[in-house]
Amino acid sequence: MPVSPVVEITFALSALVILLSSLAVVLVKNPVRATLLLIVAFIPTSLVYILLQAAFVGILQILVYAGAIMMLFTFVIMMINPSPKDGESPAGGSEGGEGGFSGMRGALIGLLVVGALGALLLPKVYHAASQVSVAPVTKPGFGELSSISALLFEDPANNPLTVSFELISFLILVGIIAALNFSRRKGAEARMENSITTRPTEALPILQREALEPK
Amino acid sequence: MSVSLFNLPDCLMLSLALVLIGSYGVFRRRSLILVLLSIEVMLNGVNLSLISFNFFRWGTVENSHYLYMLSIGVAAVEAAVGLSMVIVLFKNYNDITRNRISQLGERA
Repeated sequence: MPVSPVVEITFALSALVILLSSLAVVLVKNPVRATLLLIVAFIPTSLVYILLQAAFVGILQILVYAGAIMMLFTFVIMMINPSPKDGESPAGGSEGGEGGFSGMRGALIGLLVVGALGALLLPKVYHAASQVSVAPVTKPGFGELSSISALLFEDPANNPLTVSFELISFLILVGIIAALNFSRRKGAEARMENSITTRPTEALPILQREALEPK
Repeated sequence: MSVSLFNLPDCLMLSLALVLIGSYGVFRRRSLILVLLSIEVMLNGVNLSLISFNFFRWGTVENSHYLYMLSIGVAAVEAAVGLSMVIVLFKNYNDITRNRISQLGERA
């Protein structure tokens, strides 16, 4: 299948940028920088999607992934403001050592496991993918919005994809309820503690209680 | 151009490399937020493999584009639930490194 040199060069450059910035996401110390580097990795990914005739998916990648999900990450990182050393343990990393992977030993173990996995998988996957017969795109308007919407919503009464696409909204609803529940439980317990007193000094106003109780 | 990169094996190599990079991050990172970010890197690799399979192998229906939408829906839910868990852990422990966290509730 002949491909134009422009596509080849664009694909090679985007693959390089994707790999480098994803590596930087894993290795960089500052969490905010890691999030922004992941957004940087998503932009050439959407370029690759456009090369693969999936323009709508490329748009979704920018709008939903880089725009919404990564902004959620950025908000949470800026809200709880972890110090830069949280991301990567400095040399030693002795605090809480029972967790196992920490310090240089952890880096070595991780590199060993991932390297062995890569050395095992990469040649096999390459070999197997080379054997696969390639079927070029024949559908007119492949990957365009009209084509995808026809796939999803044509004959909605009998189309299983319509039902499962609508079920995604229930999945998101469940996620919202779970997130709300996580954030609500703490407040409810605090209110319970305030209303029911077990010790007589707790019935007093807070300032007097602090004056009475020894430190 | 003699060497051709834009084909199915090389796209799969790229996505497999992304999955490996992300799994190294999951091994290595101690902050829970950065573990979630590494999972996003892995998901990105999987999505890339979906779309490239659909382009090179199955040029008649956009089934994988639909799978991609499902995948980003799941990724959004996972990010929302995981980040709210991180916030609860940060409230309870004042710390989100995973070595010191063994339960979700109050500190015993």
